[in-house]
Amino acid sequence: MNTPLALIALLPLLGFLLNGTFATALGGKRFNNTVAAVIACAMPIAAFALTIQAFLTLQSNGYTPIVAPLYRWALIGEHTFDITFYFDRLSAIMTLVVTGVGSVIHIYSTGYMHDDKSFGRFMAYLNLFLFFMLLLVLGRSMLVLFVGWEGVGLASYLLIGFWFDDLANAIAGRKAFITNRIGDAGFLLGMFLLYRAFGTLDMDTINSAFVGGQAAMVSASLVGFFLFVGATGKSAQIPLYVWLPDAMAGPTPVSALIHAATMVTAGVYLVARMSGLYMQAPDASQLMAVVGVLTAFMAATIALVQTDIKKVLAYSTVSQLGFMFVALGVGAYGVAIFHVVTHAFFKACLFLGAGSVIHALGGEQDIRKMGGLRKHIPITFWTFVISTAAIAGIPGLAGFFSKDEILWYAFASEKGGAPWLWAVGALTAFMTAFYMTRLLWLTFFGASRMSHEVEHHVHESPLSMTGVLGVLAVLSAVGGYIGIPHFLEPQIPLPPVVESLEHYEHTLLYVSIAIAFAGVALAVFMYSGPASRPAGIARAAGPVRVLLEGKYFVDELYAAVIVRPLAWVSEHVFLKIGDKMLIDGTLNGLGAFAQRSAGWLGRAQTGSLQFYALLVMVGMVGALLWSWRHV
Amino acid sequence: MLFMREPMRVALALITSMSSLGAVYGLMGVHFIAAFQVLIYVGAVMVFMVYVIMLLEVKEAPGSKRFSSYVVPGVVVGVLLMAALGAGMLRGPMSSGMLPGEGSGTFSLVEFSSAFLTRYWLVFELTTVFLVGAIVAALAVVNVSRRKQEGA
Amino acid sequence: MNESQFLLAIAGGLFTIGLLGVVIRRNALVMLMCMELMLNGVNLSLVTFSQQRGDAAGAVMVFLTFVVATAEVALAIPIVLLLVKHARSLDVDRYSELKG
Repeated sequence: MNTPLALIALLPLLGFLLNGTFATALGGKRFNNTVAAVIACAMPIAAFALTIQAFLTLQSNGYTPIVAPLYRWALIGEHTFDITFYFDRLSAIMTLVVTGVGSVIHIYSTGYMHDDKSFGRFMAYLNLFLFFMLLLVLGRSMLVLFVGWEGVGLASYLLIGFWFDDLANAIAGRKAFITNRIGDAGFLLGMFLLYRAFGTLDMDTINSAFVGGQAAMVSASLVGFFLFVGATGKSAQIPLYVWLPDAMAGPTPVSALIHAATMVTAGVYLVARMSGLYMQAPDASQLMAVVGVLTAFMAATIALVQTDIKKVLAYSTVSQLGFMFVALGVGAYGVAIFHVVTHAFFKACLFLGAGSVIHALGGEQDIRKMGGLRKHIPITFWTFVISTAAIAGIPGLAGFFSKDEILWYAFASEKGGAPWLWAVGALTAFMTAFYMTRLLWLTFFGASRMSHEVEHHVHESPLSMTGVLGVLAVLSAVGGYIGIPHFLEPQIPLPPVVESLEHYEHTLLYVSIAIAFAGVALAVFMYSGPASRPAGIARAAGPVRVLLEGKYFVDELYAAVIVRPLAWVSEHVFLKIGDKMLIDGTLNGLGAFAQRSAGWLGRAQTGSLQFYALLVMVGMVGALLWSWRHV
Repeated sequence: MLFMREPMRVALALITSMSSLGAVYGLMGVHFIAAFQVLIYVGAVMVFMVYVIMLLEVKEAPGSKRFSSYVVPGVVVGVLLMAALGAGMLRGPMSSGMLPGEGSGTFSLVEFSSAFLTRYWLVFELTTVFLVGAIVAALAVVNVSRRKQEGA
Repeated sequence: MNESQFLLAIAGGLFTIGLLGVVIRRNALVMLMCMELMLNGVNLSLVTFSQQRGDAAGAVMVFLTFVVATAEVALAIPIVLLLVKHARSLDVDRYSELKG
């Protein structure tokens, strides 16, 4: 059953090629919007169907991984590099999420981007992204994964700067790409170390080598650290998270697909896939946990004061990714993947809901100018409520299960769990519940703060959009019952729990529930009353508020410390000295030298016969003298 | 000859040199070459030159300079050349004496002419071809000048 | 120095003086006459060598040079005439239109 795996990845590529050529200005826009939409949505749906089929095959095989070689990419000396696809439990989950959520977001986009002049280009780019993401999750070798990794970075750049007529969007896209690249440098170093040690980049081989203890020649912590640097770039952790809030400049389906559900989870997938390596790398794992929890905390604090609906969700994504890294850091790889799946459901639903709100309000994104929308757009409202409850950790919904497991393992795992990790994580969960409820309240409840014409035009979104919202809301509700960590257990074992702490499990469970409700209640209390309550607290916490609203001034710090000196060096050293003086100077100098010497030599052509005869005489003397020496 | 001002006097000096050379050839025993030297060189070439000097003398502007711009480097290199040639000659092996005096066997007229027309017959042919070429060239020059005259 | 060396020295001297004259003198006709002098020097050396070896080949070559010299003069003079007509002077420095 070789073909289906490659086909899963190749179908979206085909969609990209078809739409990219015929539905864009490149091919003269031969396909109209409907045809482009059909092609663009059919491909992911077909890929999803094929994934289900592959999953059933996997199940019937007793979950032995399916290995499907496609093509021998390179043969250099004795080293071969193949493109092989690999399907085991982990890839199955990731591929199902990518194709499933990807398909519904494609359907949503047909409604959202309906009036856009570059509809064909958008759908083509979405398909391209899906192709690369599938390469990423289906690849057996780290090389194929890296191709997918870079490719999704490219697609992200293209899609963030989709409305590139506005320069700010293009700059945001560029920022995303360059920040990613910095992480990729770390990733490459890790890959080099691995290749030098093992002679292959196949991840399953490397993992079993580490687990079996045959990997003494390379320091697992060092490699783990480098791969984690790559993950910080792609999955927006400290210090490379700065591109994600700016990436909200792209259209909302892009934010949902790429920056919530799939691309940003690539880093988590990488670490989970290399679990064998990370189990032998306690230092790198500890670093991951610490960075993860700090990122989660910091992003949550910033989200408390954001006023753009998409920015709140962006920082929320950074925060939730931090949670996933905490789980990875303490060895609970399966739990992190569980959170990836549930996060995909509710975050995509939240983003698409936000898109629906923006669509209803004709482009307004500032929540201070919203309010009382629940009567106008009920379907959007109810789906938003369900997904907000999921992210806040209300028991019974998807987010509750995954977040609670993360907090439990952060507390009690033998591989790095610590009470302070739990404490910061719990505080972050409290803040998450708070700011998400704040978002919900300010957007949908209370008195309307919209301007009059906007209020008149408010309308519910078309079925393509609301239908998708409904599907995702249902998944947010019931997705927690899938029990992914136990599904992954045979492949990726859960970490052992410290014996003495085992009895705290139920206590912590109740604490989590309490935190969730407390956060929701506090937000309702603050924002349902008169506006003086939040304003009073804001005044009381003046300097803190400035810090949070300035996003801890990280962008400014980077600009001052890194960007400006680099630009100065480029301008003064490389341009003025290197390029103008050295290179241009050398070339121009050579040219001028040739001209001058030619002019100087040309003076021998005096046109005077006697001069030539004189030279003949001189030559004769010389020849005579020379012949006396050699004859 | 190098230092005389008038071209006519230079020509006369040259005639003198050539005649003396003819005498030298005769003393060396190559009589027919001596004869040809005087006949051809003095009798034809120098007469032609004298004729042309006479023709062009009228057009010569008076008070023109005698030496060209390269006189100093010329003299220097000329001295060097003579020194080099002399040094080269002194290096070479001392040749045997010579000059058997009067017309010995090899250079008698009979022997020479027969050798010329049998053994060195190629040279003979070459000279004829060369003369034909020279005639053609002369005709071409005359034509050019005539065409220029008509065109001008 | 025996006689043949003396004659060769004279031949070399004739050649050098002729070449020197070509470089030094300004008048075109005088240059031509110096070229004749060069040819004479060569002839003398050829005859000397021929005499030394007792070989007639040198004499035959002298014959050839006679013919060449004659033809050369026959053609050089008209060329000089044309040049004079063009530049209106016998001064070879005026004939430098091929400069540069």
